[in-house]
Amino acid sequence: MSLDNLKNRNVGVQNYKMLDLGHTPETGWGKFKQVLKRSVKLELFVGLKVTMREMFKALFMGEMHTVKYPFEKLPISPRYRAIHEMKRLLESGHYRCIGCGLCEKICISNCIKMDTRYDENQRKEVSDYTINFGRCIFCGYCAEVCPELAIVHGGRYETASEQRASYSNFEDMLTPMDQLVNQKEYPGFGAPTPVADKNIKKTPLAY
Amino acid sequence: MSEVKRKQTKEITVTIDGKSITTEYGKTILEVARENDIYIPTMCYLTKVEPIASCRMCVVDVEGVDGMILSCQEKAVDGAVINTNTKELEAERQNIMKLYDVNHPLECGVCDKSGECDLQNKTLEFNVSQQNFTAKDMYRPVQNWGFISYDPSLCIMCEKCVRVCNEIVGSEQLQVSTGGYKSTIINTKPENNCISCGECMAVCPVGALVSSDFKYTSNAWELNKIPSSCALCSAGCQMYYEVKPESIDNPTEKIFRVTNEYEFTSMCGAGRFGFDYANTTAFKDRAKFERAVEAFKKADTITFSSSITNEEALMLTHIAKAIDAKLSCPEAYGFSKFLKAYSSVSGKSLWGGDLATLAKSDAIISLATRVKDDAPMVKNHIAMAVKREKAQVVYMHPIEDSHIQNLVTKFVKYEAGSEEGVVALLLELLTRDKELPTELKSFIDELDIGNLSGESSISEEELDEIVATFWKKRRFSLIVGEDIYNHPEVENIAKMLAAIEKYTNYNVVVTPPASNSLGVALICDLEPEATGYTVGYNCEADFNLSSLGDGDLDMPALNQQEGSIVTINKQLVPLNVALGYDGYILNDIANELGVGRKYTIDFTSELPKDKGFKGIEFDSLANNFSKYGEDIRGYKLEVINVESKIELNDVEDLPSFDGIVVYNVDSAQNPNPFTQKSKLTKTEPKLLGSKQFAMAAKVKDGDLVEFELNGKKVRRVFSIDTSLKGTIALNPTSDMGLSAFAVSSYRFSQININKVGGANE
Repeated sequence: MSLDNLKNRNVGVQNYKMLDLGHTPETGWGKFKQVLKRSVKLELFVGLKVTMREMFKALFMGEMHTVKYPFEKLPISPRYRAIHEMKRLLESGHYRCIGCGLCEKICISNCIKMDTRYDENQRKEVSDYTINFGRCIFCGYCAEVCPELAIVHGGRYETASEQRASYSNFEDMLTPMDQLVNQKEYPGFGAPTPVADKNIKKTPLAY
Repeated sequence: MSEVKRKQTKEITVTIDGKSITTEYGKTILEVARENDIYIPTMCYLTKVEPIASCRMCVVDVEGVDGMILSCQEKAVDGAVINTNTKELEAERQNIMKLYDVNHPLECGVCDKSGECDLQNKTLEFNVSQQNFTAKDMYRPVQNWGFISYDPSLCIMCEKCVRVCNEIVGSEQLQVSTGGYKSTIINTKPENNCISCGECMAVCPVGALVSSDFKYTSNAWELNKIPSSCALCSAGCQMYYEVKPESIDNPTEKIFRVTNEYEFTSMCGAGRFGFDYANTTAFKDRAKFERAVEAFKKADTITFSSSITNEEALMLTHIAKAIDAKLSCPEAYGFSKFLKAYSSVSGKSLWGGDLATLAKSDAIISLATRVKDDAPMVKNHIAMAVKREKAQVVYMHPIEDSHIQNLVTKFVKYEAGSEEGVVALLLELLTRDKELPTELKSFIDELDIGNLSGESSISEEELDEIVATFWKKRRFSLIVGEDIYNHPEVENIAKMLAAIEKYTNYNVVVTPPASNSLGVALICDLEPEATGYTVGYNCEADFNLSSLGDGDLDMPALNQQEGSIVTINKQLVPLNVALGYDGYILNDIANELGVGRKYTIDFTSELPKDKGFKGIEFDSLANNFSKYGEDIRGYKLEVINVESKIELNDVEDLPSFDGIVVYNVDSAQNPNPFTQKSKLTKTEPKLLGSKQFAMAAKVKDGDLVEFELNGKKVRRVFSIDTSLKGTIALNPTSDMGLSAFAVSSYRFSQININKVGGANE
C-alpha cells in the first residue's frame, strides 16, 4: 500500500461496504418480539459454539493461541536492549573484554564497575566486573562504545528483583563455554554495519 | 660583559598572531607565546629542561625569514612579526603527527596513558585518521627497569626521559640509541645503578615508560587527583596523590600512584613510589584514647619526631604548656641548636640560600652529607648546576660516593668526626681576601691550619686545589648536611658556617634532617633530653602515639591529615588529605586538655609570626605553579633580623674515630620508617660495607652480625657493596620503627662487631 492511500481522507469514495444488519425494530411490539425470538431460539448457544469449538481444539488438539507466560516467552527483536551479555572469542573461547574501561566511563547511571590488573601473560586482565541492574537504564551506550563487541545487550528482559540493587558478575553474563557454538553476534547498537567490511582500509605494506 | 648584561634586560616588542607583546630579551618565541596564552603545539618541549628540539612541531613563521623557525630554540628579537598558524605550518605539523603515528600500536584500550596521552591528543587535534606511510614492524620486547617498565614499541623518541635523567637527575642512565626507525631509549646500567627515581616515567608523553606497579590497574580518568606536598623529606616537593576505591569488593580509597607537575618540578623515587604509608587500620577506641589523655596528664616530657606538621608542633607546645611538660625532639634538637647558633652570627633567623639559586651556581661545595641519599632533590639541583652552568662540585665527606662521580669534580675526604676542623679550614680558605671584622680575623689567625689539616686529613694541597677548581667562578653555593647537627661541637660549626655566609658571597643551603625539622625547630622550644615519664608522638617513649600503627594510640600519617610543613627552601607548603582516617587525632587530645581548636588547621594562622610565619589561613594557601613555572605554593617564610655577635670558641682537638666505624644513612628510595612501611620501597635492611671493611671487621658477605649502636643491640646481615671504598660501613635505620626517630647521636659511630651467624647458616 502506498502512502497516498493512507493520506486519503476522502471517506466517501473509498470502497466501504454497508453490512446487512437487517432492520432495528422501532415499535414496542417489534422489540418484544425480537427479545422473545432471541431467547427462545437459543441464539446464545450458537455464538458459544465457536468458543466451545476453539476451547476443545486448544485443550485436546494442541492448538492453543495464547502464550503460557512465564513458561513460554515470545521471541524478541534482536535489537531489543535487555540484560547484558559478555561475548567470547569464537576461536579461543577467551572472553573478548580487554578491560579498556570505556563502558565504565560512558555509563550515565554509573552502574558499571571494573577492576583490572597486570596478569602473568603481561596482559591486562579483568579481575572483577559488575553491573548494578538496579541502576541500569538500558540505554545501550556501553554496548555502543565497546571496541571489541564484548559487552552487548541480550534478550533477557526480566529484571524484577527483591532489592533495589541487583548486581551481576562478569561470569554470569559471559557466554557459557558449552554454549559457545550457539553464540550469536549482536546486530543492535554498536554492531558493525553490513558494509563495514567494505569500509576497511588497509595499512600500506610496501616492504 | 656589560654589553651582554645590557642586552639581557633590554625590553623588546614582538607581534605574535597580530598580538603585540612587550617582553624582555632572552626568552624564546615559545616562552613568550605561552606566557601570553598563545598556543603553539609541541611534542618534545619540557619547560624544566633546555629545549630538546626533536619533534619540530613548534615551527612558526617569522616574517622576512625564509623557512620555518623552531620556536622552542629561537629567541624572540625586537620587532619580529610571528605567525603561529598558517596553512603551511598546519600541513607541516600534520605530517609530523602522521610520522609519529606510523606503527604506533593501537592498544589505547589497555594503555595506561590513554586519556592523558600527548600522542592521542595531538593525533585527534591534527585529524590523523589513517596511516599513509609504511615501515616494517619489529620485535621490541618490554623491558623492566626496577619500578619502571619500558615498552619500546610505544616510544615516540621525544627524548624527554633522556634529558631529565641527564640534566635534572644527573644519573646519566638513559641514552638514545640512534638508528632511524630502529632508535630506542637504552638504560645503560639497569641493574645496580639506576636509582629508580621515576623522573623519566613522569615526563613520558606516551605509555612507553610506566610504573610496573601501577600498570593496568586503573585508567587515568578514574583517579581522583589530590594536590599535596611530599612529606617524606624536607624538600617538600609538589605532588598529587591519585586515589580511587581499592576494588569493587573494598570501597575504601587507596592511593594508586603519585604524579606531579612534571613540567616545572621533579621528585625522587621515595616520594613517587613510597606513598602507601597511611595508617589505615585505625579506629576510634575510646579506652585507648582515655589512656592517652591520662598519659599526657602525667607526662614530664613530650618527645616527638619532626615528621609532623607545623600545626601539630604548635599544638604540642600548647599541650606542653597546659600540662607543664617539656618538649623534646631528638631528630630536630641538634638542628635547632645549629639554627640558633647560626643566626647568632649571621644576624638572620634563617640561612640565605635556596635550591633555585643552587641550580644556578657554577661552584658548589657539598659538606658533611651523603647528598644522594640524604637529600635527593639537593643532588638534583647540583646536577642541574653541573649540566647547565658547568658547575665545579667539591664533595667533602668521609665516604666517597661513586654513584655521583659524574657530578663531582673533586672529592675531598676528611676523617669522621673532624667536621669542626674541616669547617674551620673552609672558613680560612674562603675568607682569605675578604674584609673581616677584627674578632673573626683574630679567630682565623689563631687557627692552627697545619694541625687542623693533619687531624682532618685534608692536606693544604687539597685546599689549594679547591681554590684552583673554583678559579674564575662567580656564583658559589655551599650545602650544609645532616652530619653536623648532632656533632658535639655543632654550635661552633654553625657559627663558622654563618661567618662564611655573612662575609663571602656563598649561597648557603642548609638541609634539614627530616621533613619538618625546620618548622619544629622554629615553633618549639626543645629540651636536649627527655626525662621522667615520656609520651612520644612518632617517637619511642613510655606511651607511644604512632602513625606507623604500632603504638599505644594510632595517629594519622602525613598523607591523612591537613597541615603544613616548612621545606629546605624556607617555604611553608600545604599537605592535604589523600586517604581518610577513622581514629583519634592530636587535636582531640588537645581539646580534651583544653587547648585544642575545632580543626587542626585552625592553628595554621596562629603559627608564630616572630619566627617568620605569616598568619595566613590554611584554606588560602596556594598549591600550584604560575604559568611562568614559579613555585607559588604556600608562602616563603620571612627572614627576621636578629642580634648578631661573633663569639667563636677555639677549635680544640678533633675527635677521632678509629677501628670499625658505621655511618647511619638510609638510601634515597627508603629514607625513613614510613617508606619502609610502603609496599614498593620496603627493603631488607643490610649493613653495607666495602671489601676493605669486611677484612678489617673480619666478616664475610652474607654474615649475620650484631653490634651495639646508641646503647641498642642491632642485628643485620652484612653485605659487600662493591661501589664503596674505605673502612666505614653504611647502616640503615629505616627499619627501626619508632626508635629510628629517637636517635640523636652523631651519625658516625665506632662499634664492636660480632658475627652471630655465617653466610650459609
